Amino acid sequence: MKTIETKTFVRNKFLEYYEKHPSSIQPPTQIEKREFGFLLFKERVMIRHKGFKNVDDLAKTLKTLVPSDVYYSSAYYEKPEEEMGEKGWLGADLIFDIDADHIRTPCAKIHDKWTCSNCGTAGKGVVPEKCPACGEQRFDEKTWPCEVCLESAKAETVKLLDMLTRDFGFSSKEMSVSFSGHRGYHLHVESREVQALDSMARKEIVDYIVGIGLETSFHGLEERGQKKSRVLFGPGLDDSGWRGRIARGTYEFLLTATSEELGEIGLKKKVVDTLIQHKETILESWKEKGPWGAVKDVGVESWRKIAQRGAEMRSAKIDTVVTTDIHRLIRLINTLHGKTGLKKIEVPITDIEQFDPLKSAVAFKEGTVKVLISDAPEFRLEDQTYGPYKNREVELPTAAALILLCKGMAEVKEEK
Amino acid sequence: MAKYPFTNEAAEHVRELDLKIEDMSEPILTRAEQRIEEALLYAEVSTQLPKDEIEIASFPVAVMMVASTADTLIKGRYALAEAKRAYKLLNEEQDKNKILEIAGAFNWKIRLADKRPPYEFALSFMDYLKNATRLQAKEWKLVNRVVANGEVYLTKDDTTRLLEEEVRRHIEKKLDVKGKFALPENVAKRVERLEQLSVKHRGKIQFEELPEGIVISAFPPCIKDMYNGLSSGHHLSHIGRFALTSFLINAGMTTENVVNLYRSLSDFNERLTRYQVEHIAGGRGSRTRYIPPRCSTLRTHGVCTRMDEICKGIRHPLAYYRRKLRTIETKAPVERA
Repeated sequence: MKTIETKTFVRNKFLEYYEKHPSSIQPPTQIEKREFGFLLFKERVMIRHKGFKNVDDLAKTLKTLVPSDVYYSSAYYEKPEEEMGEKGWLGADLIFDIDADHIRTPCAKIHDKWTCSNCGTAGKGVVPEKCPACGEQRFDEKTWPCEVCLESAKAETVKLLDMLTRDFGFSSKEMSVSFSGHRGYHLHVESREVQALDSMARKEIVDYIVGIGLETSFHGLEERGQKKSRVLFGPGLDDSGWRGRIARGTYEFLLTATSEELGEIGLKKKVVDTLIQHKETILESWKEKGPWGAVKDVGVESWRKIAQRGAEMRSAKIDTVVTTDIHRLIRLINTLHGKTGLKKIEVPITDIEQFDPLKSAVAFKEGTVKVLISDAPEFRLEDQTYGPYKNREVELPTAAALILLCKGMAEVKEEK
Repeated sequence: MAKYPFTNEAAEHVRELDLKIEDMSEPILTRAEQRIEEALLYAEVSTQLPKDEIEIASFPVAVMMVASTADTLIKGRYALAEAKRAYKLLNEEQDKNKILEIAGAFNWKIRLADKRPPYEFALSFMDYLKNATRLQAKEWKLVNRVVANGEVYLTKDDTTRLLEEEVRRHIEKKLDVKGKFALPENVAKRVERLEQLSVKHRGKIQFEELPEGIVISAFPPCIKDMYNGLSSGHHLSHIGRFALTSFLINAGMTTENVVNLYRSLSDFNERLTRYQVEHIAGGRGSRTRYIPPRCSTLRTHGVCTRMDEICKGIRHPLAYYRRKLRTIETKAPVERA
């Protein structure tokens, strides 16, 4: 039996996809003002500064270049093909990137692997700061688009959507959400207004979303009145913006917080005990003015720590660099992801809770491939669960085989 | 119009009068000169209102005079002083509609919002950000504001303060004329006097040169950590590398020495590193030398991990370096690299 080189095989599959589905390529708005970039399979180099007049030219290029990944600029340029300084920046969409890599998930221990680039020592879970064997800090990482990770990324996206809608007032027409095809979600805001935002303004929006620099004293958590008759006030559950979010986060935190978790945020033992003891009183208090000042011996400083933790629970963990970069290249919708062979697809905003990325993003629906799998975790694609596999030869549906091939976890034996 | 001479309405009025700089009356020129003098000496233009015709026309004349100096310090000071004057006058307005009117002159999307005391206005977050990002106090951070439905809720004082910023930006834009240009002799004489006044007043505030050697002990904590880390082979984030490299270049380290610093990394690529360092130093492509990001940006991207006492008083890593150097210089000797 002839073994086929993996890269060539994957590239051929990608070519097949772009040949069969030329009409699925959706051009970004004002395609002629965007810069495009393509990552090549073999050379692993990025071809940048490409421009297209229309979507047909773009679709043709995909068929000839067959890139592993396709990107376009969030920015609009007068001359997208020129060098960076000469492009003539006209504006940029407001974009957000949520990646499971930025969220600590318990399952990372099961499916994420790292190998030290220097000595080859390997381990599971989050990459350590230094290699335990040789002290080197360069690693080869293998992450996995697992369900738990994707769910937590989706939960962050829902929080982000809520802020953009309720606080910033963007309509669902101005926003689009997509699954990246790997481990995250992208959210684009396209409107004339936001295009002009400079990097500083975008940074302020990022800080708002992540809660950087948030101080509860500016959100109504304060003591009022004179010395002996001092009363604590705090935000309410129905308040607008961060106020309501702080209150709801505080509610959520205190509902389930254990003594250890309360201790971790820097509360004194006595305060922790009081809070645990008066849990009922605190939960009841939300019906009126909230827990602030509802229990004796918990002072304003303690409440600040609790409210900060509550705020953290309501913030959305976005990639701060992507949003502030006004020249960013971002993956094009309906193109394939080189790390999975899945496609980046639009997520219906109103139906995001029901959205199943491992079903909707499958690009290859036909055929099977016989592969030799070195090591792969258990995973699901569409309605089928596969693995875990270790040093096994298996015949898999094309999409399932591709994800392992793209991840470097398997080799092709034979295609049917 | 005399109160707020920077509005389009006032500018239109002056245009209709069809006044030429050559035949401006003495009182107008005197008031124009006074506006600038007050800016240079007291950082605020007085709110005294002589005859309206004089007050209105004196503003564009003053702008022309300041622009002709091609001196960024005079320009900045004048714009700020006029803005402060506007802030004071706006704060004295009892009628909130007057504030809406001036905000409207700058195309702000703003409305009265008195259902949520202590707030009196609701401003679109876009207009808010345009003006608030340059204000450094924590209370101006968007995350510390009540934001709902695309609007930021503001007190009257918040609103006038943001308008001050808008006025300042507006006047700075008007003053942004490249190079010197000629004015009639009687006007030029007044400008010359003001320039001398500015030089005298500037006194000892000279451009601060950094010393030749690099003083590591004066590095801010973020830079020190990255510098030490890099020396022992630690990898840095992209923005971390940029911050460190641009800091060292601006502190006077040679490209060669910066490149050598990266040598300890396992994936060191001399050609690429040299290219990147030279680019930041302004020796390639755009020819602009980059400066490190400001502290708030480093915080956003997680480069700032610990702050010391000096950090609390500065907003930029290079400002930290200058300040620390001053305190160190009195006690020699210091470690120099």
